Amino acid sequence: MASAPSKLYADDVSLVVVLVDTNPFFWSASSLSFSQFLSHVLAFLNAILTLNQLNQVVVIATGYNSCNYIFDSSSDLNQSFENGRMPVMCSSLLQKLEEFLIKDEQLSKEVPEGRIKSSLLSGSLSMALCYIQRVFRSGALHPHPRILCLQGSPDGPEQYVAIMNAIFSAQRSMVPIDSCYMGAQNSAFLQQASYITGGVHHKPQHLDGLFQYLMTIFATDLHSRSFLHLPKPVGVDFRASKFYYLLNFGGSFILGNFCFILDIAQLPCFIYKQ
Amino acid sequence: SETDFRPSRIVVIAKHVEAFIREFFDQNPLSQVGLLTIKDGVAQCLTDLGGSPESHIKALMNKLECSGDSSLQNALDLVDGYLNQIPSYGHREVLILYAALSTCDPGDIMETIQKCKKSKIRCSVIGLAAEMFICKHLCQETGGTYSVALDESHFKELILEHAPPPPAIAEFATANLIKMGFPQRAAEGSISICSCHKEAKVGAGYTCPRCKARVCELPTECRICGLTLVSSPHLARSYHHLFPIAPFDEVPPFSLNDPNHKLQRNCFGCQQSLLNPGNKPGLLVVCPKCKGYFCLDCDIYIHESLHNCPGC
Repeated sequence: MASAPSKLYADDVSLVVVLVDTNPFFWSASSLSFSQFLSHVLAFLNAILTLNQLNQVVVIATGYNSCNYIFDSSSDLNQSFENGRMPVMCSSLLQKLEEFLIKDEQLSKEVPEGRIKSSLLSGSLSMALCYIQRVFRSGALHPHPRILCLQGSPDGPEQYVAIMNAIFSAQRSMVPIDSCYMGAQNSAFLQQASYITGGVHHKPQHLDGLFQYLMTIFATDLHSRSFLHLPKPVGVDFRASKFYYLLNFGGSFILGNFCFILDIAQLPCFIYKQ
Repeated sequence: SETDFRPSRIVVIAKHVEAFIREFFDQNPLSQVGLLTIKDGVAQCLTDLGGSPESHIKALMNKLECSGDSSLQNALDLVDGYLNQIPSYGHREVLILYAALSTCDPGDIMETIQKCKKSKIRCSVIGLAAEMFICKHLCQETGGTYSVALDESHFKELILEHAPPPPAIAEFATANLIKMGFPQRAAEGSISICSCHKEAKVGAGYTCPRCKARVCELPTECRICGLTLVSSPHLARSYHHLFPIAPFDEVPPFSLNDPNHKLQRNCFGCQQSLLNPGNKPGLLVVCPKCKGYFCLDCDIYIHESLHNCPGC
């Protein structure tokens, strides 16, 4: 699919909205520790801000139960110092992250057992898109927005509809969704997201070199991508070779009183009753 | 100011039909569209019923010519012929863009209208000139909508109103099972003979799960075994018609001063400040499920385009 065309005032000014997976269930079992991961990510965020003076970075944490903004490089609290702009202030970001994690954990006490331990990607994608819409409204001169998902948790099938809605909205607004998947299996949702919106999907082989993957693949701005060789999608999984039956209770094909019986990935059969 | 369509009605129509086709396939990815022209008293097929927008748009790009009388009856007869081939679970609809002020028919048009009504074809008309009784009658009989465009922007609005799917009527509902296949995308380097173009192609196609034939694009019908082939994103595009998001409630201004309400200073979606200058709260809405506060712009975006609440 073609990538988004340029539509702003300078070719390589970017706004990167980074969605950081903070799911404790994933990080407790991962070979890369969360603190090592954060050090890679913080260095990467600083690097983006130094690539261009006008670049902006926003960080949203994707928790197990909730999502929230952690850092916004364009907000007043983060501009400082007489000698030019100081990139990502690690202390404020880490402090907010800690507050978020505490709040997220408190929400966990009410969650029922037996749920696949996925993080709330649909929520953070939606928040990122709302923020990007605000940037579009801010006037004719704005940076190229894009979304970068740093995800390790498995796909949560109950979020399928919401994630697809977010993907289509991003496709309409021409916002690419890049994804870096650090988990064990493949993430079909992220592959589809990057394929449909024209972003880059990659699953790094060696997680301790994560910073290098981030810098070489995901730091590139959208304009430069037209002359760079980035990982291409290899057989995107649009789901199975089985048959699926569609029950139709309406005269129209896909509307009104309609009943789906679908089996998508691990999604159990769900029947919509009117 | 000029009230007629410039440079000519046919050019304006072609431009807006192209936009309509793109929007239509965006909202209804599994549907099919065919284009007909009415010229010299005869109706002709411009493009066949097809599920891919490109072929229709290419036909529209060519210079369309207009001449002679228009015949509503011939057009409806032709449409009836085409749409009768559609299986009964499909919704049949005709949108007529009519700029003429009369219709020159070979027979009784009332009979044709009854025929369309029996075949359950919903006819809608957008007039570009003046209101005509026969168009109004046709739309009333078949359950469609009739509107007359006042100018170009009004015409655009009217035609795009037909893009989202109409609600289904419960009485006509019959349960049907439809078989569909979800093909896998072929690997990059694989070579196979494509069933639509009848030539060998490398990679970038889809394999029918039943007969393993290669097709170039989705959604389509497999030419070898007749199975409808779609990909899950195509179905997912229509989900928001079936599972719409609940509208947000307006926050009444007096409750904002209530000390029991912990007012969020920023919009949950975009982090924009919810306070007007002077620390007075601006207009906000709240999601009934997750109680997050949103600014009005996010509310519009969420309900019109995103269809997800960020907090739920």
